Amino acid sequence: MEIILIIGTILLLILSSLTVKGYRRCSIINAVGHFLILILAFKLVAKIINSGIPVQCWGIFYADALSGVFIITISVINFASAMYSIGYLPQDIKEGHIKEKKAKVYYFLFNMFALSMFLVPMLNNLGFVWVAIEMTTLVSAFLVGFYNKKTSIEAAWKYIIICSVGISLALFGIILFYYAVSRQGGINTLNWIDMITVAGKLDPNIVKVAFIFVLIGYGTKAGLAPMHTWLPDAHSQAPAPISALLSGVLLKTALYAILRFFIITNNCLGSQFASNLLTIFGLLSLAVAAGFILVQKDIKRLLAYSSVEHIGIISLGIGFGGIIGLFGALLHIFNHAVTKSLMFFGVGNIVKKYGTNNLNAIRGVISTMPFTGIIILLGVFALAGSVPFSIFISELIILISGFTKGAYFAAAAALILISVIFAALVNHFSGVLFGKNMTNMPKTNETLSTKVSLLFLSVFVVVFGFVIPNFFFKLFHCAIGVIKGSI
Amino acid sequence: MYLNIFLYGILLMTFSMVVSKRITALINSFGLQSFFLFLFTLCLAINQHHVELYVVAALLFFLKVILIPRFLRNIVSRIKVNENLGLFLNPLLSLISALGLIYLAYLFTRRIMPVDSFEGCSLIISLSVTLIGMFIMIFRQKALTQIIGLLVMENGLFLAAASVSGGMPFFVEIAIFFDVFVCVIILGVFVYKINTLFTHIDVDKLTELKG
Repeated sequence: MEIILIIGTILLLILSSLTVKGYRRCSIINAVGHFLILILAFKLVAKIINSGIPVQCWGIFYADALSGVFIITISVINFASAMYSIGYLPQDIKEGHIKEKKAKVYYFLFNMFALSMFLVPMLNNLGFVWVAIEMTTLVSAFLVGFYNKKTSIEAAWKYIIICSVGISLALFGIILFYYAVSRQGGINTLNWIDMITVAGKLDPNIVKVAFIFVLIGYGTKAGLAPMHTWLPDAHSQAPAPISALLSGVLLKTALYAILRFFIITNNCLGSQFASNLLTIFGLLSLAVAAGFILVQKDIKRLLAYSSVEHIGIISLGIGFGGIIGLFGALLHIFNHAVTKSLMFFGVGNIVKKYGTNNLNAIRGVISTMPFTGIIILLGVFALAGSVPFSIFISELIILISGFTKGAYFAAAAALILISVIFAALVNHFSGVLFGKNMTNMPKTNETLSTKVSLLFLSVFVVVFGFVIPNFFFKLFHCAIGVIKGSI
Repeated sequence: MYLNIFLYGILLMTFSMVVSKRITALINSFGLQSFFLFLFTLCLAINQHHVELYVVAALLFFLKVILIPRFLRNIVSRIKVNENLGLFLNPLLSLISALGLIYLAYLFTRRIMPVDSFEGCSLIISLSVTLIGMFIMIFRQKALTQIIGLLVMENGLFLAAASVSGGMPFFVEIAIFFDVFVCVIILGVFVYKINTLFTHIDVDKLTELKG
């Protein structure tokens, strides 16, 4: 029931963006709508984990605890982004980047994007999941190219081409899975519930190659190196609230699809094969990200490469496996989404104020924008994995699982790369925050809605560093059950 | 019998795309390839008496044989683009690479199913068509050829789905069709945008974003 309500609310928001006059009213309606969706999402997930059985609807929709992790993440980031957009778009209009009419197009695309992302973890049929993921690419390409500048169109083109190719390869993998299911399993279906029941009977040879295709294909969308090349372009050219969505949740939806096939593959081949692949891609992503973060000059690209890093850490966690590793990975999915969105919002404010993306030209944020400055200071340490914050906990759990599992080399290499990135991030941002500002910029105050969205996210960043709320603990526990195949 | 002829027709058209130097030739070959694919699906439908496959074949005909080629020709004439494709590899080398890709597909298929069966044969051809589609995307300069490369990849995937497993579930197939169509339209829109902003559609000159 809640699934229908969530989808229905988004459809209403799409309708309202077409009919309501004036973009200001549109933006308020949008934020209220996404707050409603946030409540519905928590209700839905609470129902799933309290009853212990997946929610199904009409045979099309299906949501278990694993979907729950992603539904919660998407709804939290969507709400924050809708809130932040209220203050962000008027600045764009004032500076002449977009016309007032186009602001309403923004809300139309925003909600189409939200719809396609919500569909991914809610659909039962893995073929439809593929369609939904392709839909996220197509819709968000317009958001990446929203400013219609040379650079943003270039980024959008690369984004849509590279991701479409990747996702075509994933489709080939899905076809092979389907072939195996229909031959050895004896059923002609791509429905998740049916596929998982016959997973043990599939031909190991076919499943192996099929999983490689799926991993490469969806891995392109998830931003795993070396298929990540579209990511820094798209993240740096999109409007700030969209960058947050791209990096916070779009990458995670592709990861969700990988996880589903990961479960099937594990049931068929045992956990070794798929885990090793994910560990290798994870380490590679960390290494690539570390290199580019060290020499980066563009503040938004810096954050984009940091996304590659964190996707790498998540897939390391999944690769290390075991209850501890998976718990760390799922926790990291949520923590990274929240922290990275916070950083993109903060950096969005900075870029608007200074009018440049150049790391060396932005100096003294803490004195020109005190509120944003403090949030960014908190965010940088949280993002890099410093002690009292949420990401530290999940990274620690993942590394512990690596060492206890005996993957010493992988865990040690990850530890070293994470420390390098820590140093680079703190170094870059110390200049941005505390460097001496030569021009005399007046102090500015952020609008109320911007402050609310930043505070909303930083609550999660701080609280999860000290205690994981019971609700989330139970959610991750159930999701691990799904991955391990006990539910 | 007929199925085999159409299968090789698809492969032949793929070769003619690899060696073509002009955009219109590329679009024509793509249309013909889709036509062979349509005949192939129609044959399957007649053999297996699947009503759903008839619908899929009809959709294939309207979208990929008529609408999409027309749309692409429309773009070519509207933006008055230079007809030459701009090859990074000359036709002969491209052809040799394509043969290499087919061998790769053969090696790959040998691992998972017997290659002398009809299924094995069509999997080899569909995988080669997919790989060659990717090759066209990478080694040609124009934005339009990247769209066509993507379409060729999709044709390969469609062939794999239709021949290897007797077609995907009906609604999934329809959804994928719709998705491909929307994707092509959106890419077309972006080609217009690139053309107006950059006054060319050479993707190898889109190099502003780096690092």
